[in-house]
Amino acid sequence: MRTSDIFKLAFKALRDRKVRSLLTILGIMIGSAIILALIASSSGLSAGVQAQVEKIGANTLTVSSARQFFASGSSGTQNYQLSQQDVNTIKSFQGVSDVIPYYSQRATISYGGNSIEGELIGVDTNALFTMYKGLNLYSGSLPGSYDPSAAAVGYSIAFPTGSSDQLTLNQMISITLGGQTSGTLTFLVKGIFSAYGRVLFSDIDSTIFISLQSAQILLKTQYFSGLYVMTSTAGDVTTVQQEIETYYGTQVRVMNAGSMVSSVESITSQMTVFLGSIGAVSLFVAAVGITNTMFVSVMERTREIGILKALGYKPKQIMGMFLSEAILSGIVGGVGGTILGYVLSFMIGGALPMSGGFGMSRPGQTGSSTTLTPVFTPELIAFSLLFPIGIAVLAGLYPAWRASKMNAVVALKYE
Amino acid sequence: MPSHANLAVQTIDVTKVYRVGHISYSALRGVNLKIGKRELVSVVGPSGSGKSTLLNLIGALDPPTSGRVIIDGVDLRKLNEDRLALLRNQKIGFVYQTFNLIQRLTAVENVEMPLIAGGVPDKIRRSRSLKMLSAVGLADKANKRPTELSGGEQQRVAIARALVTRPALVLGDEPTGNVDSKTTIEILNYIVQVNRTLGTTFVLVTHNPDVANMTHRMITIKDGLIEKEQYIQRMDSYTGS
Repeated sequence: MRTSDIFKLAFKALRDRKVRSLLTILGIMIGSAIILALIASSSGLSAGVQAQVEKIGANTLTVSSARQFFASGSSGTQNYQLSQQDVNTIKSFQGVSDVIPYYSQRATISYGGNSIEGELIGVDTNALFTMYKGLNLYSGSLPGSYDPSAAAVGYSIAFPTGSSDQLTLNQMISITLGGQTSGTLTFLVKGIFSAYGRVLFSDIDSTIFISLQSAQILLKTQYFSGLYVMTSTAGDVTTVQQEIETYYGTQVRVMNAGSMVSSVESITSQMTVFLGSIGAVSLFVAAVGITNTMFVSVMERTREIGILKALGYKPKQIMGMFLSEAILSGIVGGVGGTILGYVLSFMIGGALPMSGGFGMSRPGQTGSSTTLTPVFTPELIAFSLLFPIGIAVLAGLYPAWRASKMNAVVALKYE
Repeated sequence: MPSHANLAVQTIDVTKVYRVGHISYSALRGVNLKIGKRELVSVVGPSGSGKSTLLNLIGALDPPTSGRVIIDGVDLRKLNEDRLALLRNQKIGFVYQTFNLIQRLTAVENVEMPLIAGGVPDKIRRSRSLKMLSAVGLADKANKRPTELSGGEQQRVAIARALVTRPALVLGDEPTGNVDSKTTIEILNYIVQVNRTLGTTFVLVTHNPDVANMTHRMITIKDGLIEKEQYIQRMDSYTGS
């Protein structure tokens, strides 16, 4: 018996029970699509975070005061606060090339009819290009160190999506700070940055930058929110981190880009496993569906199996005929599921144009900085095509075997 | 009685016991039968006498409880499942009272089924099947499904399917049981013609005396044993092999 004949007969059998076959295939499709979409999205997320980390560079450490939520002793224990003294201390460590202190505060930026949720960062503005690799000015210039009213803003503050009001140079903007210091501040826009995207926890495109001195005056504090520590080489990062941690103990929190990548990766890989197993469960349910459908089909066609035996079909051939019905369902389900999953993953990522206009993002947040591009590796595509076929074969094996082992005489009498 | 070497079918002390739970039932209780090549034989007897059981044993569909079944000189005990399937495919054709066609397939596709099992290439099996269908007078119904055909037409499709592999032996289980008398005569004439021209051996289980009277020999079975065998005096000029 020829393989092509086996599949032709299987196709005719599936076509004969269209609705049932389609429902079975739909089950496989959904399982396969969910697996593909979830894995592609979470690896897209991981890749996105990695790209952000790369913008900071591998030779950068961030030092911030540790939040002591559960400080021992009295509840009034103050967090350690970073000052100029710490800048000098860390600068003296072996392998440190520069220490850049900064202030940061959540802020609402308003001008014209726009009100944008963002962040205020006070930093030596000349250091910005060192801190954020690839950042450059779209227009204007950086605020001078001693110009307390000058500011440079991120791209989506100047050009918010969905708003006709746009910022021009030397325009006034007002800032309402969140957190413990409240009140409205006014700045003159001296510079606008090109679109840059997110870096770790901040979205540069919705950040307003002022000089360190201005921030110190306006926020009325000499304590920094954090320090950027640049090491001479990427290889120094670990030793410098250890030096700082040894010196400060648990008073400060030190993060380096590399460890952030690995922690993000561990989170996303756990997520991938978790989401992938949801998909696997649905595929398992689909497999049970195939087995069930095939059992019904074998039972309904008992008489046909008897006829096939009488006509001289070998047990192996009969098994092959039923199994190839499962394989065909698996192939169609796998291909359909892969296509569906591909589309679905873009919907999850929100990168499809259709999901851009739903108004999900807050004003001022551009789509480009928050969307996630799913990642499809050849292995993933192959998996999502082949796994359903494997599942279908396993699910069809037992019913097909039962069919092949049927007693011909009993089968022929079956009504 | 035909000579030993020229036997299409031989059964030696064949018994068949069916067991349902603790109750066992002997369908055949020691049947010795010889059917020669080119013979046209009918098996008659009351319901439950064991006729169909005997046919299933001869057709290699069911093994005897004891005794031997020898088809074309081959002892079926010596064959495994696959070899038995091959034997059925190449040497035996079946025709049933209920036609047993596959409903979703067209007439010609049904006729092709045994050739597919035998691995006959697409074009060859299609042309052989169509030739076979026109031989039974259904050339114009090749692409009709069984539901679109009358009972007589369906049985002719089944006969075409049984003969398309050019088997040495055709077994009919009440082949005319579900068709009208006109079609019965047509089918019988065709069987006689095939038997005469191709030398195909036929064993027909029947209730119908008209069918039995057209065969060479009538074997009567009762209570799982051969009660009598009688040669039929035929009206036509059949002379045997």
